[in-house]
Amino acid sequence: MRQICCDLRQKHELGCSIWKGAFFTRKYLHICALNIILVLKKASEQMDLKTKLNILGDAAKYDVSCSSSGSSRGAPKGGLGSGCSAGICHTWSADGRCISLLKVLFSNACKYDCAYCVNRRSNDVPRATFTPKELIDLTLEFYRRNYIEGLFLSSAVVGSPDATMEKLVYVAKELRTVHRFGGYIHLKAIPGASPRLLYEAGLYADRSSVNIEIPSDRALQYLAPEKNFKSIYSPMNFLAERKLEYHADRRMRSAPKFLPAGQSTQMIVGASGESDLQILRLSAGLYHKQQMKRVYFSGYVPVNADKRLPALTTKPPLLREHRLYQADWLMRFYNFGHEEILDESNPNLDPDLDPKAMWALRHPEFFPIDLQTADYEMILRVPGIGVKSAQLIVSGRRYCTIRMEQLKKMGVVLKRAKYFIYNPDIPANLRRLYPEMVRPMLIARPKPAQLDFFGQLDTPALPAPAIQALSAPAQLRPAG
Amino acid sequence: MSLLISYDSSFDGFLSAVFEIYRQRLDVGDFLPERPYDAEASSTFDLFLQPFHVETVAESARRLRRAIVNMAGADVLDLLETAFRSEERGVEMKIFVYLRKLFAGDEPGFNRNPTSKEMLPLFLLARAVRHESGGMLGMVRFNKAPDGMYVAEIEPKYDILEMIVGHFRGRFPTGRWAIVDVMRCYGVFYDGKHTEYLEFADPDTISRTIAENAPPDEFTRMWKSYYDTMAIKERLNPRLLRRCLPVRYWKHLPERQQNLAGPANRSTNSLASRPA
Repeated sequence: MRQICCDLRQKHELGCSIWKGAFFTRKYLHICALNIILVLKKASEQMDLKTKLNILGDAAKYDVSCSSSGSSRGAPKGGLGSGCSAGICHTWSADGRCISLLKVLFSNACKYDCAYCVNRRSNDVPRATFTPKELIDLTLEFYRRNYIEGLFLSSAVVGSPDATMEKLVYVAKELRTVHRFGGYIHLKAIPGASPRLLYEAGLYADRSSVNIEIPSDRALQYLAPEKNFKSIYSPMNFLAERKLEYHADRRMRSAPKFLPAGQSTQMIVGASGESDLQILRLSAGLYHKQQMKRVYFSGYVPVNADKRLPALTTKPPLLREHRLYQADWLMRFYNFGHEEILDESNPNLDPDLDPKAMWALRHPEFFPIDLQTADYEMILRVPGIGVKSAQLIVSGRRYCTIRMEQLKKMGVVLKRAKYFIYNPDIPANLRRLYPEMVRPMLIARPKPAQLDFFGQLDTPALPAPAIQALSAPAQLRPAG
Repeated sequence: MSLLISYDSSFDGFLSAVFEIYRQRLDVGDFLPERPYDAEASSTFDLFLQPFHVETVAESARRLRRAIVNMAGADVLDLLETAFRSEERGVEMKIFVYLRKLFAGDEPGFNRNPTSKEMLPLFLLARAVRHESGGMLGMVRFNKAPDGMYVAEIEPKYDILEMIVGHFRGRFPTGRWAIVDVMRCYGVFYDGKHTEYLEFADPDTISRTIAENAPPDEFTRMWKSYYDTMAIKERLNPRLLRRCLPVRYWKHLPERQQNLAGPANRSTNSLASRPA
């Protein structure tokens, strides 16, 4: 490929010199042009669809969003594809992340140079661009085999934001109108794209997203000089407003919807120095003001050597990401406010304890609660009781007393819950403990590991004999 | 001596059996479904139970369904049927115990209490069955036959084929496709208008016929290589993978097959499938 590009450049230069010299005949020029076209054609043929798919899939894999939920729709007449409001996961990759959409970039030849991104223009990575037809065929063929739930189309910025967005919208429009495709379509909104294109994207896509990536404006401008919060928020706000407007005007049930599955965004955790409180506050704002359906967190995987970023050998902060997702769940399904989970005095989540247990230990005044009489909201706040078990408890307690055996069968984690609930089957002394005494019991003990035969011990069991041997002559020396 | 009641393994068959138990005041020890693909389990008998066969009668099943709906509601009947699909050993007895208590009517609100001793196991079982049928919507993998038909093999833990057919009818209304439950030797065929259930004699023959007529094609290989690229090497997590995608489903997922991959991708895959 690179060979061909070089070839092409030489030919192009040749063509230029010919043009400048202007003493060749017009016929020769014509042949030159033909040659260039041939070489171009050869280049695009050489990179087959499989290679392109691998390059552009690989470039898109750091995008976390994969959900296919929030849109319910039957197959269009004469077409194929439906939307399932709960979303359907189709498979899980070796890192345990679900794959439900064909997540690819339209092109990875980016003009920006964001420090954290694998596709930045200063990186030496293979570049590829789909043609709309290739991408549409691929989506439909994968969909018919039930490999995917739909298409997640993003792109590096090629040329201008508008030119890029136009390509994405074209693919979505073609799928929806020509192929009568009813499956899920997630389109990235390119920051800086014109309102007309964004609006059109909303008409064809189920969900749209603009990634914040870095959770503070200052750090974002430092790491991605071409971006700032304003350029990211403006398409987000535009789409949120249009959605409200559109659905207020929508009279007919059968009228098409505008972004039925709403918007999502993503931020990288661990690339810049934000605290968990800052991240949660930002995501709570996005849920309320921008009406986000999901805010994703992505533990920073070092892909570029850059002095502005953590070193390449840094491990992705997977535990921190996990704790943030737990906190996110508390905000979305457990009626927690972000200020309840974290505050200025403890701005970071505890790596040893989940945020719900952390909250419960900080608020002993609410516990123990009686499952027989407590509010549903309060039962939800007990560590070890989830939404499903809480609902079961609430619907069952009208008819009988909930015993420990039933709790166990429901899937309540009694190991954690027993310190926080009042139940006749649980020893009373457990709920009289102070939070400081409960804390070590909630923390999972590390499993005893087999010692490595040739490994070094961190803390030696006995004082090393070498120290005595060294100190003995030192004592002797003055005497000698 | 208690009876070991054998029936034809359908839900209607089970309901007919329950109907007969009430009508003839039978003393039940256990139930025995006669599953053609599971001949070994069907032929075992308990030395202390007397075998007794009940024929499926549509009319008595219908009457019992109506009685359950009247006593407890349509959602309970649906829940019982879903739990029955689990085909778990002893599920019939659990349902029977529940029905006996329901019809005895001596505990007020029994039909609405999901946490009762009789209902909770059925409730959880039905939840597990629904969970698998929901997951299977994404894990059916079609292969394209040269004549344009799409064929998929599945091997679910529970008998959920009938629960997922509606989804695929809604999704691919114009195509021709078939989904075959290899283990239970039956499948569903859709010709663009109607669905039809077909039974097969032998699981090996079906698998071989499908593999010969609808082998993996170029798109299957592209999907496999796309799948391999999607994993982030720094985040590999085989335990999480196993929890989300249990190993028992891998057999029919092309992306988890070793032999579909090119030599370049094999290293990733072997790393991922190493035991935790």
